[in-house]
Amino acid sequence: MFLSVEEIVKHYDGVMALNRISLQVRKGTVKGLMGPNGAGKSTLFHLISGMERPDSGKIFFKKRDITGLQTYEISRLGVGRTFQTLQIFGNMTVVENVLTGMHSRIRGGFLSSGLYLPQIKKSEEIAIKEAKEILELLGLFGRWKWFASQLSYGEQRRLEIARGLAAKPDLLLLDEPAAGLTYPEAKQLAQTLSRLKEAGLTLFLIEHHMGMVMEIADEVAVLNNGELLAEGPPDMVKKDPGVIEAYAPRR
Amino acid sequence: MVDQVHKEFRRRDLLYSGALWLLSLIIPDPQLHYRREYRFRKRDLFYLLTILLLPLIWSDPHFHHIMVLGGIHGILALGLTLFLGYAGQISLGQAAFFGIGAYTTAVLTTRYGLPSFLAFWASALTAFLFAYLIGRPILKLKGYFLALATLGFGEIFLVMVRESPRLTGGVIGIFDIPFFSFAGFIFDTYLKQYYLIWGVLMGLVLFSKNLIRSKMGRAFLAVAASEDGASAVGIDVSRIKLGVFVIGAAFAGLAGSLFASVMSTANPETFSLNLSVLIVMMVILGGMGNLYGPIAGAIFLTYLIDELSRYQEYSLPIYGVILILLLIFFPDGIGTRLRIRLIYLISYWGRKRRREKVEL
Amino acid sequence: MDIIQILPQLLSTGITFGAIYALVGLGFVTIARASQIINFAQGEFVMLGGMITFFLLNKIHLPYPLAALFAILIVVIIGFLLHLLVIYPLRKASLPILLMATLGASLFLSSASALLFGTLPKALPPFSARAPFEIGNISVSPQSLWVLVAAFLTLFSLYLLSHRTLLGKAMEASSTDPLGADLTGISRNLMIFLAFGVSAGIGSVAGIFITPIFYVSYHSGILIGLKGFIAAVLGGWGKHNGAILGGFALGVLESLSVAFIPSGYKDAIAFIVLLLILYIRPKGILGSPFIDSRRW
Repeated sequence: MFLSVEEIVKHYDGVMALNRISLQVRKGTVKGLMGPNGAGKSTLFHLISGMERPDSGKIFFKKRDITGLQTYEISRLGVGRTFQTLQIFGNMTVVENVLTGMHSRIRGGFLSSGLYLPQIKKSEEIAIKEAKEILELLGLFGRWKWFASQLSYGEQRRLEIARGLAAKPDLLLLDEPAAGLTYPEAKQLAQTLSRLKEAGLTLFLIEHHMGMVMEIADEVAVLNNGELLAEGPPDMVKKDPGVIEAYAPRR
Repeated sequence: MVDQVHKEFRRRDLLYSGALWLLSLIIPDPQLHYRREYRFRKRDLFYLLTILLLPLIWSDPHFHHIMVLGGIHGILALGLTLFLGYAGQISLGQAAFFGIGAYTTAVLTTRYGLPSFLAFWASALTAFLFAYLIGRPILKLKGYFLALATLGFGEIFLVMVRESPRLTGGVIGIFDIPFFSFAGFIFDTYLKQYYLIWGVLMGLVLFSKNLIRSKMGRAFLAVAASEDGASAVGIDVSRIKLGVFVIGAAFAGLAGSLFASVMSTANPETFSLNLSVLIVMMVILGGMGNLYGPIAGAIFLTYLIDELSRYQEYSLPIYGVILILLLIFFPDGIGTRLRIRLIYLISYWGRKRRREKVEL
Repeated sequence: MDIIQILPQLLSTGITFGAIYALVGLGFVTIARASQIINFAQGEFVMLGGMITFFLLNKIHLPYPLAALFAILIVVIIGFLLHLLVIYPLRKASLPILLMATLGASLFLSSASALLFGTLPKALPPFSARAPFEIGNISVSPQSLWVLVAAFLTLFSLYLLSHRTLLGKAMEASSTDPLGADLTGISRNLMIFLAFGVSAGIGSVAGIFITPIFYVSYHSGILIGLKGFIAAVLGGWGKHNGAILGGFALGVLESLSVAFIPSGYKDAIAFIVLLLILYIRPKGILGSPFIDSRRW
């Protein structure tokens, strides 16, 4: 198994956010995570990326136990992520945002950077070239010298994905990538995501846009009130009575 | 900004942009980090030549003395701007690291007869070690609490200095620290000290510039913008914070060592909270997130304090009022605000003239 | 001297000092509950309270109670002015700038008071009969009891203000959720303005009550202010009873430390306590309602 979450439990002051959740993501697939607001989707992402600690349970990535590791360690192992509330670096230009995404891949420490040794220079030049390629992929190349804070909301969302990709992750966690996007923007995003999938990247995304999930996901899991309601191929999950009840409760 | 204001090109715009270009050489660029990719620009050459030639043209020893002090303050401000301006963390303890540097040099040269050149490096190392030790627990704090914790460190340092007279001379301090000397060359006049200190400062500016344009500089800015975002892309936030804190402290240690060997004395009064406040003011007035601004701010505030000292007992209240006024009118740095106003004014004159023509 | 013998005496001094720190801490908490600003000039209010009373009493020869009353009034006006001239123009500024501005104000107030009232330390006469009375073998000065009474009365009235009146609720709302307060029609600036007045009043009361016990000079404000703030953090930042508890804890710790380490290090104790509490439990003893909010 590529990513495997086992029996995860998480409480917040007596509120059960996640109750014994187990799910798997297979390599090279796209997994969608759905559920009403407050179902515990973002909490699950926080736990996987190490921003919070689970109360019990284990998380394995590439057969390695990553429970309790620091966020940056998990990121360096190959788990990238984006945020529901954007966390772009508004004080930097677009290309610098992407270069920051490559932080752990560029060489140099404090001293060698301060002295700007030749190898740093070389590694920076390669990185800038690569950053521009990533920006091209997400359609942000024309904006590369702008400050990230000057971008529109949709562009900022794409920038965050670009930044996540820059670290060359094996698994990318996308927290509502289409939230707040207009219809054409969301459509374009879905295309980009399926291109990434073709390139061999594993995606795990939280999404409310039913259509988008159904289009690109190979498998869907549905959470409700911290419980796993259903898991399986999109068509099967769509017909699951529990899911229908959670999304459109009968009065 | 400029290209948004000028919609179409007129001949007089040449004049305006010429004036703006000249001014832009003098006024620190608020968005210097916008050009982080480039290495050596006309601006750098201009600053370099000014610093090299100014004391030769203006050979007033008092001016040299002010610039020596200003340069020392500049080193302090440069260290803090990495921490405050780039990494977005606040420290009110810089004076303590300055003091640690000064006392290390003072004790090593007067008590143990170490050459000042070695004491210089030892000072940086001592400040570095102290910062490393206290940085680990302190730097998980943010905002006011971080400010307060660093302030607390500064106060503890002062008490320690006052209460261990055998090592530090207590409240009286240490006198007759030998001048800085290297390979038999003694820096005993203000002019020689000027070149010593500004030489060191230039080296440190180069170091900081390299740091800022490499991956470390981006990591600093990332930590300032969003710690969650930074850690999600694999940046070890606490290591970056500790690193930049320690570098700032080492700079302060160097500055302290130079201060001790230039002024020949070290006493606890110098390293009080007021100095820490002054250093933070230099960075704020110079503009956050650029390297030359804080140095300009350091020269400006050093000059201001020197001017004010004429008014004796009135100097401190006036100083307090000026600080507050500067903060109110230039909260994002003098250079930034002036530049914005200039661009606005120039474009306003342009528009006004154009409008008048239409009316005629 | 045996430690056991002087222990009760040290305790009683500690409690007196603790009450002072508690009062100063309450001033910080009042502003923090309205605006999340930390006013580093708080200690100067204390210093000014003592100084102005001394001036009115000895130079203008007002009767003691009247001098105290006028001093409180003047300091409250200074508090209002501080808000109007410094804090209000900077209401949109970032944290380091606000911090520097209050430190600048502190510098101005202390140096201006040196100019106006001279640099010599001053002491007020005690409120009541001078003779200290003895409990067991501890001698307690009546002024210490006055300070205790003042601390608890202030705590009680602040408690009433913030928990029993609409004004207090409005102040708290404008601190915890500025935007929400704006939307419900609370004038945030007015709340901060009032908080500065109240906190200046508390500071001046503290100053008047403590000046008979120890000498106040123009530069003692900043240290008292910082220790009061440390007390407030120690007890639980943003809580009234936290400031009181933290104040007493800090006062007792400080005075007990005299028995074990040279007295010159006494001023360092508070800051060591600060570093420890920030490292081990930044929420303070009683926990803090503000510590999780964004600004810290």
